[in-house]
Amino acid sequence: MSEPRAVGRALPRTEDRRFLLGQGRYLDDITIPGALEVCFVRSPHAHAEIRAIDTAAARALPGVVAVITGADLAGEITTLRMAPAITGVRPTEIAPLPSDKVRFVGDPVACVIACDRYVAEDAAELVEVDYVPLPAIASMAGAAAEDAALVDATVPHNLVAEESFSAGDPEGAFRRAAQVVEARFVQHRQTHLPIETRGIACVFDPGREHLTVHTGNQAPHPLRTALAARLGLSESQITVISPDVGGGFGQKIALLREELVVAALARRLGRPVRWREDRLENLLASLHAREETVTVQAAVDGLGRLLGLRARIEADMGAYCFFPANYMMRVVGMILPGPYRLRDYAFDLRVHLTNKCPAGPMRAPMAITSWVMEGTMDAIARALDADPVEIRRRNLLEDADLPYVTATGERYHSISSRGTMEAALDGLDYVAFRAAQAERRDRGELVGLGICNVVESTTYGSAFYKAAGIPGSGHETATVKVEPSGACSVAVGLMTSGQGYETTLAQAAAEGLGVDPGAVRVLIGNTDIAPYGMGARGSRGAAAGGGAAYLAGRRLQEKVLAIAAHLLNRNSSDGLALEAGHVMQRAGGGLQPSGLTLADIARVAFLDPLGLPDGMEPGLHVTTSYDPPPMTYSNSTHLCAIAVDRVTGMVRIERYLAAHDSGTVINPLVVEGQLHGAIAMGLSGALFEELVYDDQGQMLSGSLADYLIATATELPAIELIEHARPDAMTPLGIKGMAEGGVMGSIGAVCNAVADALAPLGICIDSQPLTPARLSALIAAAKRA
Amino acid sequence: MTQHAITLDVDGERYELAVEARRLLSDVLRDLGRTGVHVGCEHGVCGACTVQVDGAPMRACLLFAVQLEGQAIRTVAALGDNGGLDGLQQAFHDVHGLQCGFCTPGLLMTLDALLRERAELDEATIREVVSGHLCRCTGYDNIVEAVQLALRRRAKAA
Repeated sequence: MSEPRAVGRALPRTEDRRFLLGQGRYLDDITIPGALEVCFVRSPHAHAEIRAIDTAAARALPGVVAVITGADLAGEITTLRMAPAITGVRPTEIAPLPSDKVRFVGDPVACVIACDRYVAEDAAELVEVDYVPLPAIASMAGAAAEDAALVDATVPHNLVAEESFSAGDPEGAFRRAAQVVEARFVQHRQTHLPIETRGIACVFDPGREHLTVHTGNQAPHPLRTALAARLGLSESQITVISPDVGGGFGQKIALLREELVVAALARRLGRPVRWREDRLENLLASLHAREETVTVQAAVDGLGRLLGLRARIEADMGAYCFFPANYMMRVVGMILPGPYRLRDYAFDLRVHLTNKCPAGPMRAPMAITSWVMEGTMDAIARALDADPVEIRRRNLLEDADLPYVTATGERYHSISSRGTMEAALDGLDYVAFRAAQAERRDRGELVGLGICNVVESTTYGSAFYKAAGIPGSGHETATVKVEPSGACSVAVGLMTSGQGYETTLAQAAAEGLGVDPGAVRVLIGNTDIAPYGMGARGSRGAAAGGGAAYLAGRRLQEKVLAIAAHLLNRNSSDGLALEAGHVMQRAGGGLQPSGLTLADIARVAFLDPLGLPDGMEPGLHVTTSYDPPPMTYSNSTHLCAIAVDRVTGMVRIERYLAAHDSGTVINPLVVEGQLHGAIAMGLSGALFEELVYDDQGQMLSGSLADYLIATATELPAIELIEHARPDAMTPLGIKGMAEGGVMGSIGAVCNAVADALAPLGICIDSQPLTPARLSALIAAAKRA
Repeated sequence: MTQHAITLDVDGERYELAVEARRLLSDVLRDLGRTGVHVGCEHGVCGACTVQVDGAPMRACLLFAVQLEGQAIRTVAALGDNGGLDGLQQAFHDVHGLQCGFCTPGLLMTLDALLRERAELDEATIREVVSGHLCRCTGYDNIVEAVQLALRRRAKAA
């Protein structure tokens, strides 16, 4: 095979130009004449019975078209029944809008439709809801308490999922252990915070009985499937068009209630209807994430080698299950051991309902795993008074261990964790760092280093879903087409929200087809144009989407070359290749132009089909599906060196390094950007972001002045070291990446702060590591 | 609600408008087709709606359109070089200084104003200025690098 020419190039992105000129087309930029605007009326109570809703005053306001409640929609929209056939998961149902009781602050109870958003907001204030407050469940401990109120009357003890897993002989491992090390990891509630909030604009054509839906969504086809099912339409009656998307991070995947209601209203009213979430709604009532607690017991031998591990995993699902309740925590349990040798392993998981905003997957929904394993390694090192790097070296999987089947049945064939760790330590100069740290500690400085090895599960194949008992498929489909002029396109059902697919999918298709990446137009974000796709989730875009685009291109190249062989009077296409749109033929030691171009072939394929080989179909198009291996992994090692200000408690990041094995990289510029962004999101979440609820279930973080995300002054310059090993199982060796940075940075910064504060006897077992919290811990340690 | 007659100067064009007093500048500019003015929080924190008013960067979501009578408003639509990218935009493109692109126009308006005033900037100052904007995609490194690249290229051309 010839060397890749399109894949691997750091091409600046083709989509940039329109964004830089202010010509992006995000949802609000799409003009729909006569569109009505919607404002939702939301619950001020965490938990309350709805006794009555009086909409008369709101309906009387000039400009108001209708005010709708849950009762009005009952006949038009089915409830969402979440009942996966998984033992230990309680079935739940969600009505379009609640009509019996509200379950969290922000729960939508009514919807005002008006001539514009200003009037809709005025009218929303006039809707009178008679509530009878009920006791609120504001925490996992509250949910599990004896006699706790029930968030959902059909879910006893508010326990919506529980599961136990055991492999090998954990009991034996604990009996053999020289020491048992325990540690606890409490992660706090955060949210995705795309800078463009959610929204939708729907147009129903009564003559054609067709619904056109504009909405920024990462998975347009699955969204269409869900809309059709809930509205009682066929999928072919709905077109989902995803315009430019101002960030998603997992918040724009599932069909949530607001989008569903707006789609139903467009049909009911026969007029275009649109809604854009405001920032308060986004913080209060979109989706939250990450509120999880993991406690571990590690059985180790005298050298700190891990003999066995028990983990107890608990998660706060919030008030409703928009996703199977066990889904994220089961993945956490399955991948928890990461890059470490471990045979005897057990976990229990429990997922609780509370009167808080529903939880959903946020970029790296399994992020806590890296912090847990790496924090456990540090705890082992402290218990044995050993070097944390040395403890990791004793436990890491080495190349000689591969392929390695983990205790939960995951198969690693191409990870390189030892390699990335050593590369990162070299990049830092670990020995010199520890020497400097000791000197600075003597001067009274609080200096720490955090190490975090990450194995990122990037791309879920269908076999994984089946094994995990989760309905779904991991395949992706691409259509590569060449037009009569020779113009090329690739259509894929994935949707980008900033990951650069318009550039990288062109590179992947171009690599397969044998043209310049700039010659391939990427068609995404329209369910009528692209073949059904499973959407942009996890880090599946590169391996699943890029893999499908590459394979479709390659198959089309085979047809192009078969035609070329016929036109060149050759017996077969052996010795022919398509390069940058030119048919090349082997001559002497190399490839020489044959004189034919892709445009020549296209002309024959479309306009002179009698000139094709006997029996060949006219036209040039290939649609191919690709189902990746059960799981594909990339890996990385993150090092974070910090100093904590003794007085203010502020964490200053002095160096941040990540050595990463992202396999074959389609576009290094995009991969660098994804690493930067993921690392920033993890650091921001661990250091600053927190959605705070009081004990009555009131949410206290309703603005960006309360919910703080890191800015350019808090975040470090990030040093990256590439340590690539192509994947043995995927097309081109692509591994995918985009979430590992979140996993690595959370673990690295938490471990760094723990290292910095260890001399004061402070144990860091929870986030966020805000200045206020750390300064209080330091002050308390001084008093003790 | 009472409508107020105002005259707005947007990107060098004059508009005679009747607007409610409560109508935000960001909404009015978007109604005038300036959809590069992005609305991200409507409480002045994220910076996505930043425009220049008489050359100074300001949050369009914190201003009422009726306050802007007689002042020159500049949006991202006024940037660029004969329909192509200007030096700052080109630098953003070259070093991957944007991902989803939603925060980008606001950043460009702030940084364009800064680069008009200053020929040299150290990294700390650039970070300080960029910290007035929230970006959820890039981690800011490449934004800072884009500003440095634009400055280097401008110095070389001078």
